[in-house]
Amino acid sequence: MKGLWLLLALLPLIVHADDSELAELLGRIRQHGAAEFSYQETRKLELVSSPWQGQGQMLSSADGSLIKLQLLPRRIIMASTEQRMYFWDPEQKQRHSASADQAGAEAGQIALLRTLIQGRAGELQSSYDVAAKKQGQHWSLRFTPKPELGEQGSPTIEFSGDEDKNQHQILIGTSDGESTEYRMTKTAEGPEVENSIQRLLLEAKGD
Amino acid sequence: MSFVWRKRWFLILFPLLLAVSIWQIRIETDLNAFFTATDDEDSRLLSGLLKSGELSRRYLLVVEKANDANPTQTLEEFSAKLTEQLAQLSDVEKIWIASQPPRDWIDAISSYAPYHARLFSLNPQQEASQLFDPDKLASRAAKLKEALLSPQGGFVKTIAKQDPLLLSLNGFKNLQGQFQRQADLHGNAGALILQSRPAALDSDAHSLLQAAIQASFDALNQSAGGGFKLSMAGVPVFSVAAHSEISQDVTLVSVVSSLAVALVFLLLFRSFSALHWVMMIQAAAFVLGTLAIALVFKQVHSLTLALGASLIGICTDYPMHVMVHCAKHSQTPLSAVKLLWPSLLMGGLTTVIGYGALGMTGFPGFEQIAVFALFSIAASLGLTRWVLPALLAKSNIRAAHLPGIAAWVAFCGRHRRGLLGLFALCVVLAGLCLPQLRWMDDMQKLAMDMDQLKRQDEVVRAHFTPIEPGRFVLIQADDLETALQRSEAVERRLNLLKQQGVINEYHGLFPWLASQALQDENAKVYSQALSPQFQDAWRGALTKAGLSLDKLGLLPPPAAEPLQAEAVLASPVSHILSGQIITGQKGVALSLWLGAHDPVKLAAGISGMEGVRYFSQKDQLDKLAGMYRDRSLLMLAIGISIMSLFIWLQQRNIRKVILTLLPTLASVLFIFAIWALIGEEVSFLHVIGLLLSVSLCVDYGIFFMDNRGQNSDVTYHAIASSTLTTLASFGALGLGKTPTLPILALSVSLGVTFGFLLCPLLIQKPSKQ
Repeated sequence: MKGLWLLLALLPLIVHADDSELAELLGRIRQHGAAEFSYQETRKLELVSSPWQGQGQMLSSADGSLIKLQLLPRRIIMASTEQRMYFWDPEQKQRHSASADQAGAEAGQIALLRTLIQGRAGELQSSYDVAAKKQGQHWSLRFTPKPELGEQGSPTIEFSGDEDKNQHQILIGTSDGESTEYRMTKTAEGPEVENSIQRLLLEAKGD
Repeated sequence: MSFVWRKRWFLILFPLLLAVSIWQIRIETDLNAFFTATDDEDSRLLSGLLKSGELSRRYLLVVEKANDANPTQTLEEFSAKLTEQLAQLSDVEKIWIASQPPRDWIDAISSYAPYHARLFSLNPQQEASQLFDPDKLASRAAKLKEALLSPQGGFVKTIAKQDPLLLSLNGFKNLQGQFQRQADLHGNAGALILQSRPAALDSDAHSLLQAAIQASFDALNQSAGGGFKLSMAGVPVFSVAAHSEISQDVTLVSVVSSLAVALVFLLLFRSFSALHWVMMIQAAAFVLGTLAIALVFKQVHSLTLALGASLIGICTDYPMHVMVHCAKHSQTPLSAVKLLWPSLLMGGLTTVIGYGALGMTGFPGFEQIAVFALFSIAASLGLTRWVLPALLAKSNIRAAHLPGIAAWVAFCGRHRRGLLGLFALCVVLAGLCLPQLRWMDDMQKLAMDMDQLKRQDEVVRAHFTPIEPGRFVLIQADDLETALQRSEAVERRLNLLKQQGVINEYHGLFPWLASQALQDENAKVYSQALSPQFQDAWRGALTKAGLSLDKLGLLPPPAAEPLQAEAVLASPVSHILSGQIITGQKGVALSLWLGAHDPVKLAAGISGMEGVRYFSQKDQLDKLAGMYRDRSLLMLAIGISIMSLFIWLQQRNIRKVILTLLPTLASVLFIFAIWALIGEEVSFLHVIGLLLSVSLCVDYGIFFMDNRGQNSDVTYHAIASSTLTTLASFGALGLGKTPTLPILALSVSLGVTFGFLLCPLLIQKPSKQ
């Protein structure tokens, strides 16, 4: 009984320790200003027999836009702004756009990436339970959909890294067993990236 | 009853009647209810389509960047925001960007995957070789993988797990083509389709909705730096504009007509006291007429009130006739009304007959006017006979001398022979002109002039792949299965016509709805195609593409039961098809919407197909116009015959009957001749106007023939006064912008003027001056 009282007495401190770790990790992944990342993507889909690999660049702007420029196996642009999602496949000449909330699950993942890369993971806390973990140099933030919200189809997300602030991994897993993993390395920052973002956004929109 | 009590009862009952009328009256502003008859199936269909047809309830909205503007948002972002905001409006059923299917359509398409083997083609036998070609399977598997990795991956995955060959999407390729053509035409933003909830002709609701749309746009545009402009088109835009014009017409006609009659009255009698009492009598007659309509019909049309206001000008004739005799013979109102009562009664009766015939011409609105006329004329006559003498007991009545009246009567008397010769010559010439008479066969010419709106409509519609709201293919059958089989046959024919360039596109029902016969045919072709070799080839293609054999390798057999049309219509898909399933018809009626097309070639292309016809609202309206015209002419003849009968019953002298009617008949002939000479296209409204003028002119003949005061000068003065008030009240109709009103104004004014001028010439001058 005494042990239980002791545990209850220490609980605020434990929670406080957890909160401070979460705050520190959220601060660590926060991206200020425009940045460019190279990425490698591995998708495991229910209907595809072997993992699919892709690579390219992700460009994050200060105004909140995110461009996913897939270069391999072929060039495709996916862009996410505050309100809209854009898709442009120059080889197939296919262009789509939709509002952020109607863009479907796949495009929704881009919006999630945008939130994570731009260090606004705190915004997810209303719909996700967030668990922060730190072991030596390795750290991870795990976002699990809040069961009480009952939103079926929301993916679980794990954002992880180590002492190198320029490298992250993001693993997005869906309830039907599909997953997408991004290994990202920051390659550039500054106004030049912003110019590239505007150019690619215009290309995606078809303006 | 003493005069004092008659006056008291009148003053007590009039406000009570007024209060009851205001309590009972429901004003109808729907033009459709006034103009479109519903006494046959096609008319009912037309009426329903105009009122609540899905295409009639659609707005086409175009958002564009204003010239030289530099808004803070892109057109796409702005359109998306506007779409979101407008979707919140309570009277908006649905709004979507024209180049993208609404979300519920995409969800609905997924629900067809289990029935893929029964719905993949409208022509399964012909398409089978393409769809089940083993050599193309590798490419199809590769495309499936691409689709799974695309932003539409979730949608494709849901379908592919049930329909690995994505056959169900093949059925929807026409739909995809329609959206693609819209995207090619206008891009992916700016062109929006808004489906409203209220019936197209519910002008009040649409007026509020249009204001709300504009307000939402203005607010968003302001926040975006004011760089965008909005244009709107659609049937409701026209209905609101028409409603506004009609409301203005009703107000203008009512006010001018009342003022003009009051002014004529004052000029003739110079007595505000008499004016006040006579106007109260007319107001009471108007209230009684309105109350009668409110009790007989559910609603009172605003146009009925406008035309009713003119009718009140005619009702003023009865008290005025009494007052002229009263003043000229220095009689009391009571003795004058007793003397004139038989003539007044006969005059009122012939007017009611004329309006009764008008009510039988087929126009729903004129049925109301006929009821209004019956009650208001009866009320006006009754009040003139029993209440007017009480009201005018203390009024000093003087009648102005109208210059030229006596001179015209005298001139006709002096030169009767010569004038009759001239008249006979005119009759012959008029008769010769009649074959040149042109009948109006396009009802659009009776529509309000809305050139500016039409231009705006054309500009807006240029941004959309066209669907013609007034023309479609109508399919009818006793049961749904037969109707669907006929609809599928039409779609196959339309596809051929599309290849021939007769039509650019159409909106069919397949595969949203498919007959069981077609589903069985699809299933049979599918089962035959699914040979072991084909299945092996498919698995090979999946392996090559790196797709899951476990999940996609087994091509399922056709669903055991066909997709029941009744089940589809009970699902959310019914909202997508609601405009194409026409209710209120006998059996089942379906419609296929048409894009730009050649009407003649298309009608010829589908001719001979059982239960199928090309329906054009314009043709139907023109057919109605012809039907109304024929009925109007018949009613003109019947009306004159019944009036003749009643006059004969009173006079018992066939010569007097002919003389009484002669001025009226001659004026009808002359007016037709004038229209023939000036090339006026004569519609049923012209004929209806003449019917009205006949019912009024016959009164003049009756008064002049009866000449109860035994003084033709006084009688003609009384007739002149009536003519002036009729011209004042019906002339006011000429100020209306609704073409109906000026046509009636012209017809009636010409009729009463000719009738008035011909009376002293054609009716033998009474013996005593």
